[in-house]
Amino acid sequence: MPVIEADSLSKTYQAGLIRRTKVDALASFSIAVEAGEIFSLLGPNGAGKTTFVKIILSLTLPTSGGATILGQKLPNDEVKGRIGYLPESHRYPGYFTGEQILRLFGQLSGVDGSTLDARIPVLLDLVGMGQWRKTKVKKYSKGMMQRLGLAQALVNDPDILFLDEPTDGVDPVGRKDIRELLRDLKLKGKTIFLNSHLLSEVELISDRVAILDKGKLLKVGTVDELTRSGSRYVIGINGTIPQAWETEARALVMDVQVAEESVSIGCNSPAELNAAIDLLRKHGVQIVSVGQQRNTLEESFLSLIKRESAS
Amino acid sequence: MKFLALVLGTVREMAAKATLYFLLGVSTAILLGVLLTVSSSVSTEGRTLVVFGKEASPPLAEDMFSDLVMKMEAGLTGGLFLGVVLFGVFATAGLIPDALEKGTVDLYLSKPIHRWELLLGKYTGGVVGIFAVILYFLASLWLILGIKLGAWNVNILLSSLLLTYIFASLYAVISYFGVLSRNSAIAILAGLLYLFVAAELLENRAHGLYLLSDNTIYHAVIDTCYWIAPQIPAMQATLLKSIAGGTLDWRPFGQSLLSSTALFGLAAWTLKNKDF
Ligand SMILES: Nc1ncnc2c1ncn2[C@@H]1O[C@H](COP(=O)(O)OP(=O)(O)OP(=O)(O)O)[C@@H](O)[C@H]1O
Ligand SMILES: [Mg+2]
Repeated sequence: MPVIEADSLSKTYQAGLIRRTKVDALASFSIAVEAGEIFSLLGPNGAGKTTFVKIILSLTLPTSGGATILGQKLPNDEVKGRIGYLPESHRYPGYFTGEQILRLFGQLSGVDGSTLDARIPVLLDLVGMGQWRKTKVKKYSKGMMQRLGLAQALVNDPDILFLDEPTDGVDPVGRKDIRELLRDLKLKGKTIFLNSHLLSEVELISDRVAILDKGKLLKVGTVDELTRSGSRYVIGINGTIPQAWETEARALVMDVQVAEESVSIGCNSPAELNAAIDLLRKHGVQIVSVGQQRNTLEESFLSLIKRESAS
Repeated sequence: MKFLALVLGTVREMAAKATLYFLLGVSTAILLGVLLTVSSSVSTEGRTLVVFGKEASPPLAEDMFSDLVMKMEAGLTGGLFLGVVLFGVFATAGLIPDALEKGTVDLYLSKPIHRWELLLGKYTGGVVGIFAVILYFLASLWLILGIKLGAWNVNILLSSLLLTYIFASLYAVISYFGVLSRNSAIAILAGLLYLFVAAELLENRAHGLYLLSDNTIYHAVIDTCYWIAPQIPAMQATLLKSIAGGTLDWRPFGQSLLSSTALFGLAAWTLKNKDF
């Protein structure tokens, strides 16, 4: 059963008091996120990623469409007790210490005092902020704020976690720690919804990815599905490719690239692939593997966005 | 529990700002001044008020002497009133706009609290903070004058509640503009304009606004404004009178309860439909 379900969500912002301009931040956006998955929403700046999360948390009201979270129809304030949220630009009242922030927001989440007593030190250590717990947050650096924000999002032991650019400003070691933390949380059965621009990171941890542009959903699928290039294959071989095969193959398929122990071909149909394989066999080449060639998530993302803006 | 956390967090926020300490400092200075300079001497003719070691009143019978003390208390409370509302505006006007600021409001509203609850928590926190200052000043004054002059005026303790109530009415106006503009400076300005201009003009409309035109509709509009807005000058006047020994007129207090509640409802409604 999906834990986050959006049905044709649209949001049009009205900007400007005198000259009213309209921005379609989301246009008929539908999506279903299953329990226990790490789901990432990708898209260029202004695509509507933050807007979506804000609508789910009732920070912004949708212009049309509806959504449910944990089976509850939105807007619903009580269900937020089971949600954790790290906003993209979060600001804490500066006169609180990290520990006090966690206590305040923990209490506001409805967590009782003794649970907080036990949980806060654990969380601060988890995000590497143990030694800063008694320091006022106005003295925190950007990455430290981000780490505290993550601890804050976890303070109510939520079932669903919304993280808007969680590794923004965090150093490489911290980023790796956060990735590991997210994997641990997934193992505990938490659902994680991520907005991020760091595609290499997203690729490492996400189960599924959705790509959003100008408020419209372009594609959704597993990282595997999104990075699979439809028309390129890699054939692993033993030995070397005869020069003659290459010349003959070029007449059969779109493109041929020979490498050591493998050959990569671009073809328009499975028939072309099979013809190329037959040709290899005819030349006495031993085939050890055949597979679709993968792009990085970044390459897939860029080509998708490029295609979208061209059309 | 959630609400209490919100209120206490807000009081702590106020306590972190210099404005409140300034007010506490000034209050303490005045209290010390009273403590060190005011006393009384008793002779066969009666009790005499002594200020700076000099006799400040003729010998008076006990009841006349406590009358005098009450008038002094009313004067000091009047001064406190001005200090509290003025500094109260500065100390509290930012609480709501700050909580609604981008990045902060996201944190608050992602918690299982309603928007009106956030507003009420911040509002209550502001009022509680100001109540603490008022109580500190008036309870100390009550003790000092009681011990030094033997005049125990319970009205002055009671008036700490009423003074807070008057501030709460003003804070409803400030809160409304705070929600509307999400800007501390505008909220402060609105509070001060209301306190010193609008409320005064409405209270004294017979000697000012009425004179601008004889039109009965115009007069009716002015009257309506007077009756729907918190009547701060009227509350202040009757409160000070009651401390000096007069009877308290509850009418402006009751009327202001209605208008403050309505204003608060309006603020909550405005907040409910905002996009963050
Ligand atoms: N409060 C608002 N009022 C008016 N327009 C807004 C508001 N918030 C967002 N927008 C507009 O909505 C669009 C989507 O914004 P959103 O913040 O959702 O983008 P995003 O995908 O999160 O971008 P980024 O990657 O930069 O964080 C943008 O064009 C933005 O200008
Ligand atoms: Mg964003």
